[in-house]
Amino acid sequence: MAKREAPEINAGSMADIAFLLLIFFLVTTTMDKDTAYARKIPKKVEVEDPELVQKKNIYKISINNKQSIQARDSIIKPEDIELLNSRIKHFYLINRGKVDDRNIEYPYYSMVSKDFINQRISEAYKKQETYEKLVEKDSKYEKFIEQMDNEIAEWNRKQKILSMYSKASGKKEMPEIAFQAHVRLESFIDTDYSAYVAVQSEIEKAVTELRDIESQELFGITYTAMSKYYQTNLLEDTPIVKEYKEKMDLIDLLFPLRIIEVKPKR
Amino acid sequence: MSKFKKNDGKKAPSINTSSLPDIVFMLLFFFMVATTTKDIDPMVKVRPATGIGTTDLTPFKQRSEVDFVYLGQPLKGDIEKFEKGIAVQYDGILHKDGIRHIGKWKQDKFASKPAEYTAPREETMTCFKADEQVPMGILFEAREILGDASFFTIGYAASEKANNKGYSIREQ
Repeated sequence: MAKREAPEINAGSMADIAFLLLIFFLVTTTMDKDTAYARKIPKKVEVEDPELVQKKNIYKISINNKQSIQARDSIIKPEDIELLNSRIKHFYLINRGKVDDRNIEYPYYSMVSKDFINQRISEAYKKQETYEKLVEKDSKYEKFIEQMDNEIAEWNRKQKILSMYSKASGKKEMPEIAFQAHVRLESFIDTDYSAYVAVQSEIEKAVTELRDIESQELFGITYTAMSKYYQTNLLEDTPIVKEYKEKMDLIDLLFPLRIIEVKPKR
Repeated sequence: MSKFKKNDGKKAPSINTSSLPDIVFMLLFFFMVATTTKDIDPMVKVRPATGIGTTDLTPFKQRSEVDFVYLGQPLKGDIEKFEKGIAVQYDGILHKDGIRHIGKWKQDKFASKPAEYTAPREETMTCFKADEQVPMGILFEAREILGDASFFTIGYAASEKANNKGYSIREQ
């Protein structure tokens, strides 16, 4: 049989098919990413007589129904909202690392050292022991022991973080902000969502900038980069994910983002 | 004098279009990679609030750890029928109970997650996609309901703000 040449396939309509697919994808998909501020709703805890929070530890921001903002004693107009950034940084930094000559209107820092934590741990153990001898074993006793165990675990965790901090910075003491220090965000029932989110944004931005600087100094990588990597690779159990998690825990301890969102009354 | 030759009689040379499909396919793949599929059609008008330093929810979506609630003025139908003129959209419906339905909805959502879903209930995020003029009172009502049902993680949706632009705060 004579050899026949294979007929060429006409590819002229290939472009049309590709265009059709392209347009289909253009229509069914969206370009914008979903982004949000992740927050936690606090758990309800019953306490008999709650401890009073000192005024210096609160940075109160309230937004009224006309989207005017009050930060501590000063009024900020909506268009000047960027002022919040430097004020929140000031709140965190003014007493940082200072032992005396502190500004009494802002949260104090304590310098945490290895000996200090060891002392606390041994104290907790001692307390537990004496309690064990004194009281008969009932439900209250169990609760107390559990509480002490938690406290010891917490101090041990801090000890680990401190040793990491010392290794990275070369300093023996770690500045830790008062545990009560927080930003208190109040709003009205009629406050706009956009104004509320704008204030959240300013708080987040200020704290993230502080964290980034600290992280860059300690580890040579920004907090933002680490948290992005951590979020995407959360489910993988690689050493780098663990390492980032530990580093982020340290930075979180140095610059905690604590926002209390108050339910509006009017 | 004229330096231009008149080439009458000759046809314009045809352009070779054999690489056109390649170009279009390249575009197609770009869009397939750079975009995400639309999950639902919005039934409420949402002009997003803007902010800096937002968390990207894409990894949460991939792990299906986040459920979205849409709040805003209804696109169709009577605004008067809804409390304060704000309709709440759960998946494909505008529920008549508004925000008070959120507890039950979230409960159902959580129960219908696939079997391999491992995140505990307090880490399953509820993200509010609210219009910029939605009053905060509604969101705090939702927070309370979710808190009582121990869904402790929430998100305030906001699109990333351009650097030189201000926040979208409406002045009064």
